[in-house]
Amino acid sequence: MVGGVPLAAKAAAAVLVAACVTFMLVPLAVVVASSFSASEFLVFPPRGFSLRWYEEILGSREYTGAAWTSLRLAAVVTALSLLIGTAVAIALVRGRIPGTRTLVALFLSPLVLPTIIFGIGLLMVFSHYGDGPSFTALAVGHVVVTLPYVVRTVAAVLEGADPSVEEAARTMGANAWQRYWHVVIPQCRAGMLAGAFFAFNISFDEAVIALFLRVPGSETLPLTIYSKLEFSPDPSVAAASSVLIGLTVLLVVLMERALGIQSLTR
Amino acid sequence: MSRRESWLLLTPGLALLVLAFFFPVAHLLVRSVVAGDLGGEWTLTGEHYARFFVDGYYLSVVERTLRLSLIITVACVLFGFPIAYLMVHGGPRLRFWLIVVTILPLMTSVVVRTFGWLVILGRGGLLATVLDGLGLAGRSFTLMHTETGIVLAMVQVLLPFMALTVAGVMHGIDPRLGEAARTMGCGFFGVLRHVVVPLSIPGIVSGSLLVFALSISSFITPGLVGGVRLPVLASSIYQQVLGTLDWPFAAAQSVLLLLAAFAVIAPYAALVRRRDLAA
Amino acid sequence: MAHIELVGLEKRFGEARALAGVSLDIEEGVLAAILGPSGCGKTTLLRVVAGLERPGAGRVRVAGEDITDLAPERRGLGMMFQSYALLPHMTVAENLRFPLRMQRLGDRRQQAEKVDWALELVQLGGMASRYPRQLSGGQQQRVALARALIAGPRVLLLDEPLSNLDAQLRKDMQLELIELHRQLRLTTLLVTHDQEEALSLADVVVLMRAGGVEQTGTPRAIYEQPATPFAAEFLGAANLLEVDARPAEGGGWRVTLAPGVSLPVSAPADPRAGKRTLMLRQEDMVVMAGPVAGGVEAELGTVAFQGATCRAVVRLAGHRLRVVAPSAALAGLESGRRVYLEWPEGRALLL
Repeated sequence: MVGGVPLAAKAAAAVLVAACVTFMLVPLAVVVASSFSASEFLVFPPRGFSLRWYEEILGSREYTGAAWTSLRLAAVVTALSLLIGTAVAIALVRGRIPGTRTLVALFLSPLVLPTIIFGIGLLMVFSHYGDGPSFTALAVGHVVVTLPYVVRTVAAVLEGADPSVEEAARTMGANAWQRYWHVVIPQCRAGMLAGAFFAFNISFDEAVIALFLRVPGSETLPLTIYSKLEFSPDPSVAAASSVLIGLTVLLVVLMERALGIQSLTR
Repeated sequence: MSRRESWLLLTPGLALLVLAFFFPVAHLLVRSVVAGDLGGEWTLTGEHYARFFVDGYYLSVVERTLRLSLIITVACVLFGFPIAYLMVHGGPRLRFWLIVVTILPLMTSVVVRTFGWLVILGRGGLLATVLDGLGLAGRSFTLMHTETGIVLAMVQVLLPFMALTVAGVMHGIDPRLGEAARTMGCGFFGVLRHVVVPLSIPGIVSGSLLVFALSISSFITPGLVGGVRLPVLASSIYQQVLGTLDWPFAAAQSVLLLLAAFAVIAPYAALVRRRDLAA
Repeated sequence: MAHIELVGLEKRFGEARALAGVSLDIEEGVLAAILGPSGCGKTTLLRVVAGLERPGAGRVRVAGEDITDLAPERRGLGMMFQSYALLPHMTVAENLRFPLRMQRLGDRRQQAEKVDWALELVQLGGMASRYPRQLSGGQQQRVALARALIAGPRVLLLDEPLSNLDAQLRKDMQLELIELHRQLRLTTLLVTHDQEEALSLADVVVLMRAGGVEQTGTPRAIYEQPATPFAAEFLGAANLLEVDARPAEGGGWRVTLAPGVSLPVSAPADPRAGKRTLMLRQEDMVVMAGPVAGGVEAELGTVAFQGATCRAVVRLAGHRLRVVAPSAALAGLESGRRVYLEWPEGRALLL
């Protein structure tokens, strides 16, 4: 809208933007600032500057082990979620199944249910019918919560693609495999990429299900940080948290490069 | 695509959903109304629910949970709406940075963000230092273990959901509508009031539902900021599951949490549906 | 009702120049059609008049008052958008009442009466409590028109008002718009890319091209006396031939189409001799099977039957001419045969 935005509105917008940037980013900034502290304790403003807490977490089996667990978990979850979710999205968009609307709602329902309830349910089921919490149990839980993201992003991209290209491929003699490999999957690619970013990010950062399905001795990184926060936070927690923030920044930058971040508001 | 092919693609996802999602939730529901051992002797009972309602402690926990969630939701609407407006109508640079500012925290682990708030709100933290510098409060000032602290931290965690949801709906509003209103004698604020706000209501409603549902069920942030003295329903459930190991009682509380969420969401959603049908 | 004056309007969008110095004078009560291909700046011009775009330079005056710096809501204009821009959350009656509410015109009762009047005007009596999406395209179009009119604007701005209607409805609505204009006599700017619509609706046609005004005039004048090849081509398909033109003995002019083929034409306004463009309208040419005095010999190419008329290609001295002729005149003539072309005196125009 051109012209005629009153000065009052512009001033209010400027104040709002400044407040919003501060409010949203300061909690992350203080974590990063604290991680460079030279002192033994978490104080603010941090005293001195050192990288000792980064050295500390790199040398700590607890942190490196947790990071490795998180990385493995996120990789497995992303792969599985992508595979299953893409298949589901293709079937929902291109398939001719009665009750597609219901199925869509069904596949998106893990987004709606509070994670705490799902987490407890999983814990109870794995304890009752299996050997209790395990890496596998946690991976299954994460695939369930990341699946809706993959389904949604892939379905959205596929809906915008031309279905007649598939039919054209058939008239040119492509069999099912060729059709998927050369036509359908390439059409889904942008959605799969976005879905993979979300799945990896959610699985790597998730703490609720991880808390209920924790395996003592091989916790994920967010959970290790959480346990420290509950008892004795020192600047090493800040260093570990900063690593998580750095990873998120990296993912956001990659996402922006690959897809353009503006697409997220649409 | 043949029907067989469709079902083939759908089966792994459907199996996962049924076995690993609906089944655990159903199991939890059953647990909440059963006494005894599920594998052996068991009877139906309402005792887990009864325990909850006779104890004034739990009712006060519910009251706090609902009250805080409501405040958080309202705050998210008040701040999220103008942010969404700027995300959609601001210049390209402003838009880009607003999206970064909301996406980055959104994609950062809740644990990390809450940690940030502990550093800010704690005794001798950033807030105390700033207020001390301004001469408004001493260095020992703290918002830790206060409801204000919980609300502050939760709003930061949940604001992106609101802003992005509302922005999504606002994107779909035809800019010509605002222009048309201008030519008909409507000023900038008039366009906001008569065009942008009414047409953004679906976004505000779904954003509120999302924020409310998330805040009613979160316990990491309220637990770490509020501490044990200000328990919310979800942290009480967490205590039951991992602390006292009273799973049937935890299951009953979980069901009540769900019901509370539905109790708020259902009339809201019905209202929206009626609006949609009317328009 | 008011006289519109536009003086030296300019508008840039980044590198692109949407308006490159547009000046126009539209008399009170005139319906002016701004005509041009897409991207010529016609919609930008309308939006500048409405105040939705701020011009880089130039002035906009309505009834002598300079409104260039006035916000759109203070201009007292009525605008109808191509997409209609009906507020989806308001009923037809609420949409119609909206401008009255915003401009605080009359009390509730008077506003209700005005809404009834507007509904009557566009024959939508029973639709008051419907929502826009429950209306057909034609009905939505009428609501949008009524809404642009209801507050008694000084000037009516119509942005492609009929482009979203199907062909038959468009024809009917053209007649209704003419009727409405006769009745209300509002100074009106109508933007369109459809030359037929411009010619049939407007008192004055303003032809735009690449951000500038190519030609202004009554529909008849602009059709029959196009000033440039672009004007000739845009207002009804014309044949444009590169010819050699010079004055002939005895007052008239002659054009040479090819060595040995020359024809008389009426004297042009611009008396330059030499290479010129000759315009021949498709429908002005008469195709005959046998030779006639003053006719030119040509070869008939492809003929496409389209009902009452046929389209045909005729080859004349190395030029390819498009012709539209009554089907009866071409009956029985197969392509490849020799035909004779003739056109009325004064319909071959040197540009």
